[in-house]
Amino acid sequence: MTQANLLTPPSSIPPPVALQLSQRAPPIIASSPTSSLPWPLSLLFNAETPETWTIHENLLLSALRTGDDKAARALLDRLTTRFGASNPRIITLRGIYEEGTAKSDKELETIFKKYEDILKEDPSNFAIRKRRVAVLKSLGRIQDAIIALTVLLENSPTDAEGWAELSELYVKVGAWGQAVFAMEEVLLIIPNAWTAHAQLATVHYLSSRSLSLPQLSALTLALKHFARSIELNESYLRGYYGLKLIAKDLIPILSSDAPSKRNNNEDDEVPLPRLETVKKLEELATNKLAEIVRQHGSGKKGWQGYDEAEVIAARELLDRDGKIER
Amino acid sequence: MAQPVVQTIHRDPALFWWILLPITVVMILTGILRHYAMILLQTAPKKQMLPQIRQQRSLVRGINLRTNANILSPSSFQARKVFMVSAYQDGKFLADPEARGKPRPNPMSDPAAMEGMMGMMKGNMAMMIPQTLIMGWINAFFSGFVIMKLPFPLTPQFKSMLQSGVGTRDLDVRWVSSLSWYFLTLFGLQPVYTFILGSNNSASQVTQQMSQMNPGAGLMGPEQDPDKLFLNEAENLEVLEHRWILDGVEDRLLARLSA
Repeated sequence: MTQANLLTPPSSIPPPVALQLSQRAPPIIASSPTSSLPWPLSLLFNAETPETWTIHENLLLSALRTGDDKAARALLDRLTTRFGASNPRIITLRGIYEEGTAKSDKELETIFKKYEDILKEDPSNFAIRKRRVAVLKSLGRIQDAIIALTVLLENSPTDAEGWAELSELYVKVGAWGQAVFAMEEVLLIIPNAWTAHAQLATVHYLSSRSLSLPQLSALTLALKHFARSIELNESYLRGYYGLKLIAKDLIPILSSDAPSKRNNNEDDEVPLPRLETVKKLEELATNKLAEIVRQHGSGKKGWQGYDEAEVIAARELLDRDGKIER
Repeated sequence: MAQPVVQTIHRDPALFWWILLPITVVMILTGILRHYAMILLQTAPKKQMLPQIRQQRSLVRGINLRTNANILSPSSFQARKVFMVSAYQDGKFLADPEARGKPRPNPMSDPAAMEGMMGMMKGNMAMMIPQTLIMGWINAFFSGFVIMKLPFPLTPQFKSMLQSGVGTRDLDVRWVSSLSWYFLTLFGLQPVYTFILGSNNSASQVTQQMSQMNPGAGLMGPEQDPDKLFLNEAENLEVLEHRWILDGVEDRLLARLSA
């Protein structure tokens, strides 16, 4: 993994790196990119590059994440003087700043009102629509957030980010069918994203755990999607983890009442996997997970890109059933 | 005779100061001026209204469904197909449901289309006017001067390019006339503009012509009837042969990873 810097998209930065980045704020705030000389000279002595403002924006988001509100304010002010207060992007950034520094639900309500006013003037401002959903979510009004988000997606159905968020909200309220639908829409937009496949598999798996009706087909679908995510990325830890979990659930069901259940599901659209296949998959996943945990633990180069928490979870899963093997 | 006679012309050194330099400077300055004039003349891209955005993105959604249908299980694909086809056929996503089935209005009477054409006109005018003026200026004051000598020999084919305005047959091709110098700077100053104004300037005409080819016009331009596009897409979806990519993914995976 390459080291994250201030030009990396902020959504893919883990918390410790964000803290590191936001500590670089003081020198950037101290040095002004625009020159203070009068007009014709200022054109000549301008240190502004195309990256300058991307850095400012990302730094603002990192500063808000790490609670450095003063730096965030300074950065926001500078961006506002450069691009004007009515720039749609600046409006959104200011909204994020206000949300980040809001102390109580009441302040959030006023921000929400402000968003409503902006949307009344310009109903096609999708960034503000998304902020509105975010405010509703942080106010805890999940149902309202879902409604707002469905309105957004009705108007802009090619927004993968929006569908993923909707799926997550539906998972929160336990509407599994809708969550699956939203996740499938994400896959229709980005069909080769292994993370999206794994997320859909997770939704299927969670649904099979919570309600008892179509358990077998949901588990099968989850298995298939996890398998697909590994097919797309052979070193995807979460895929192997899910594969192992589901295989462990599936094996007892498949081996106990195989013939009777299978006849019932003959007209079902999802063909059940064979018992031997699932067993082999479980073995494969166990081996792979063990390899990842071992290589990561020994600090080998090329195996360090995994998230620490995910490796620990994988080790714990291996320990849980692997006492006999070791 | 080992060497041909080298032509020598005694040029007044003032030619350099009073013709070569002024033409070059004027050309560079016109380019810069044109760049800023274009920025001033540019109209901000018009904001699309919400129904239009919805109409366009709904069509893209249908195309996405068609191209990526293979990741869906058969039942969920069927459900989506039925929904999308019926919605397309009923014109559910149309921005303007009343105009359905009516012929498209003449683009000349549409104010939005007129505005686009005005923009193009403006761009062309900003190109044409300075060029005519400078050409006239050079013709009036500087025509007929030989102003410089290239340091390398050339074949006679370059004569018309380098010596326009000087009507002598026997002059060596290496001599460049003032009018030709104007043409050379006209076409050859792009790197200089890039150095001064940055990479996406609108000082030169080459970039001008490139930017006039509108990239977004292909999918749903004003000349296309959205209803027709929707009906077309509905038909495409209906005849689509669906194959589930997750069929047998377990066996594929085992075959690949355990081998």
